[in-house]
Amino acid sequence: MAALGARRLLRPGQRWFSETVPGVPSPPASPLYPPLAASITAKSKAAKSRRLQRFNQRVHAAATVEEKLRLYGKLQRPKYMVYPQTFALNADRWYRSFTKTVLVPGMPPRAAAAKSPVAATGTTPEAGRAPEPGAQALGAAEVPQAAKTLEPAAGAAPYLDMGELRSLACDALLQESFYQNKKRPFLYRDQDHTPGPFLTQLVSTLAAFLSSRNPLLAASSLDLNPEVNYYWHHGEEVVVHGHRKGRVDPVRFQIDDNPHLQIRVPKQLPEVVPLESDLGDVPVIDHKPSKLPLFKKQYENKVFIGSKVADPCCYGHTQFHLLPDKLKRERFIRERLEDQIEVVYRSNGIASLFAWTAAQAMYQGFWSEADVTRPFVSQAVVTDGKYFAFFCYQLNTLALTAETIKNNPRKNICWGTDSKPLYDVVEDGSVKGFNDEVLLQLVRFLLNRPKEL
Amino acid sequence: LFPGVRQAQWLTKTKLVEGLPPAVQGIVDNPALGLQELEERAKHAVSHARLWDTAQVAPRREQYCPVLFENLIHICRLMSGKYPSLSKRMLARNCRIAATWERESILLQVRGLSGILMNSMTPIPPVASKEEVLATKEHVLETFYPIAPTIDLQEVNVYKELNDTGQCFGDGYPYSHPHTLFFLESANVRTNRFRPEQLRAKMLMFAFGNALAKAKALHGDDPKVLEQPVVVQSIGTDGQLFQFMVFQLNTTDLVSNDGVKNLVWIDSDQNLYEKAQCVPEVKKRVVTKPAGISGFQPDTFKKFLALYLHGTV
Repeated sequence: MAALGARRLLRPGQRWFSETVPGVPSPPASPLYPPLAASITAKSKAAKSRRLQRFNQRVHAAATVEEKLRLYGKLQRPKYMVYPQTFALNADRWYRSFTKTVLVPGMPPRAAAAKSPVAATGTTPEAGRAPEPGAQALGAAEVPQAAKTLEPAAGAAPYLDMGELRSLACDALLQESFYQNKKRPFLYRDQDHTPGPFLTQLVSTLAAFLSSRNPLLAASSLDLNPEVNYYWHHGEEVVVHGHRKGRVDPVRFQIDDNPHLQIRVPKQLPEVVPLESDLGDVPVIDHKPSKLPLFKKQYENKVFIGSKVADPCCYGHTQFHLLPDKLKRERFIRERLEDQIEVVYRSNGIASLFAWTAAQAMYQGFWSEADVTRPFVSQAVVTDGKYFAFFCYQLNTLALTAETIKNNPRKNICWGTDSKPLYDVVEDGSVKGFNDEVLLQLVRFLLNRPKEL
Repeated sequence: LFPGVRQAQWLTKTKLVEGLPPAVQGIVDNPALGLQELEERAKHAVSHARLWDTAQVAPRREQYCPVLFENLIHICRLMSGKYPSLSKRMLARNCRIAATWERESILLQVRGLSGILMNSMTPIPPVASKEEVLATKEHVLETFYPIAPTIDLQEVNVYKELNDTGQCFGDGYPYSHPHTLFFLESANVRTNRFRPEQLRAKMLMFAFGNALAKAKALHGDDPKVLEQPVVVQSIGTDGQLFQFMVFQLNTTDLVSNDGVKNLVWIDSDQNLYEKAQCVPEVKKRVVTKPAGISGFQPDTFKKFLALYLHGTV
């Protein structure tokens, strides 16, 4: 009651303690104390977010890209190892959900339209262009091994000579499988014996042959058996056991990939579709990633495209992957899992290309808090020596962590084809059933270049 | 194998000429090839192999030697944009070579893995003129009396005298002419690598073996003086030092010590770069040696490219 009495004595608007005159606004005083910020070391959510902000600022303020990468991967915690070449069932759905990728079957439309037309066999050359059928046809006809029908390759200079390309491919194939005396393949190492060297020969000779048409190839760098690594966070989980039990942690992933062959170029490939396009849905998977199966390990968080940051060829052009013996088609057919054959190719394409493009983006200074301002495009060919599948990947966003993904409408896009055979069989020094489509697609991939060139 | 090359010379009845043959030197000096712009690319190739290729700080020799070779070959191959006939070449790795010959009643044989071989559809034209070839008749092979010339060679009971280029290129293999052999000394430990002198001897023996096998395949097994000499080139490196060699087989008559001899041009110990510093060397807070490649010699790369282009340009 004393309090009631005291309150009645106060007029509304009057302060209890101070002596300010009511009605006069107080002069705007500079704050006497700094703004209230959460503690840095307390065990509270506000403190955690403040620590995260400080970390983000540190990475933003890093002077060089190497420093940024070092800070980004400084904290080592157990993370899921994502293997691009995996036998897990339906792995490509899981990988798409981890990397926020949309899979569009078939090849991007730009690739079909803008290429210089390839001379179809038998078409008459346009008037006004001096055809050189004589020399080309003789050159193509003299090659005895390829069991193609001896069509004269009617080609003028801008046209691609299919006969020549076919003979190059067949020569590489025959050398590796037929002509060279090799010992028997090592146990379970069939892929190193014939398809591996064939792929190396094929790509190197084709790249050299096409370098006159594609100046980007002429400045490219070819890596044999390089290493590609990428580390990222996606989603959140609660730590299950250990001294950190109960805390909410981001789910960490790491891809360590070894493509068979890789071409890196100094200029970026052009974008296929605009940055904000939406071509489909990303699959949502409710289970924990370890159900795939995927296992955790703690080791160095590497981000690497194949060479260090100082290399001028810092953008990727095409990767070539060779499927190991463990994932060969006969094994899947034997275990009655025919539909998983394509899954193997797709998961390899998506995971490897995501790792490569994202690492390229990080080399340019982008990361999950500083999202990419231009799309990064790369291509890949996944093969087991006979069957080829082609993939084209456009990275639109790196922001996959739990906070940054909330307001991020962008999705990464991957175009992919099914696997098609390049040839039927090699016997008696000739290649039977050579498939020109596959070679053509490979050539189109190699000829891909920015519009200015 | 101390007098390595000299011993190999005696064994293969060869006369040594220092430096590269004039045909190859002509390609090196030819300005129309645009070798200047390639210098930049060659420097990038060296930097990539020695500095940038690995996620660790510095790559080991086993890694950087093959990578350097691949990068250089990639640059050379890209020249086929300018010279389309360069696409008529094929690289073969891990090929085995076997060749036998008699030398003053001693049967000799060369066998083994000869590294990486590049074959081409067309043979290299002979490098030395006919007069030079005939002039080798006067040349006397040096002997090492009292050391027998077969010292340090493994004596083996040979049951089959094999003569094939190891690849057993079945009939119809289009790339039937051995063009260049590449030897990469990439062992990490220095004692496992060949010293430059021994490397040159090895290169000579294998080049001779390849040329002999090819000559016997072309002209038959009888020993005689060849109308069309067979030329095989050879490049050996340990990642920094390069040895260049051009070998011309003039005769398969190797039993006697006189007559026309074979010729070899050797350009030895060419450094491609002086030092590759992965991490800058800092003494007392001052950077004494910055990171990077120092002492790059473009001439060595030009010779590499010239040997690659030889035969098509």
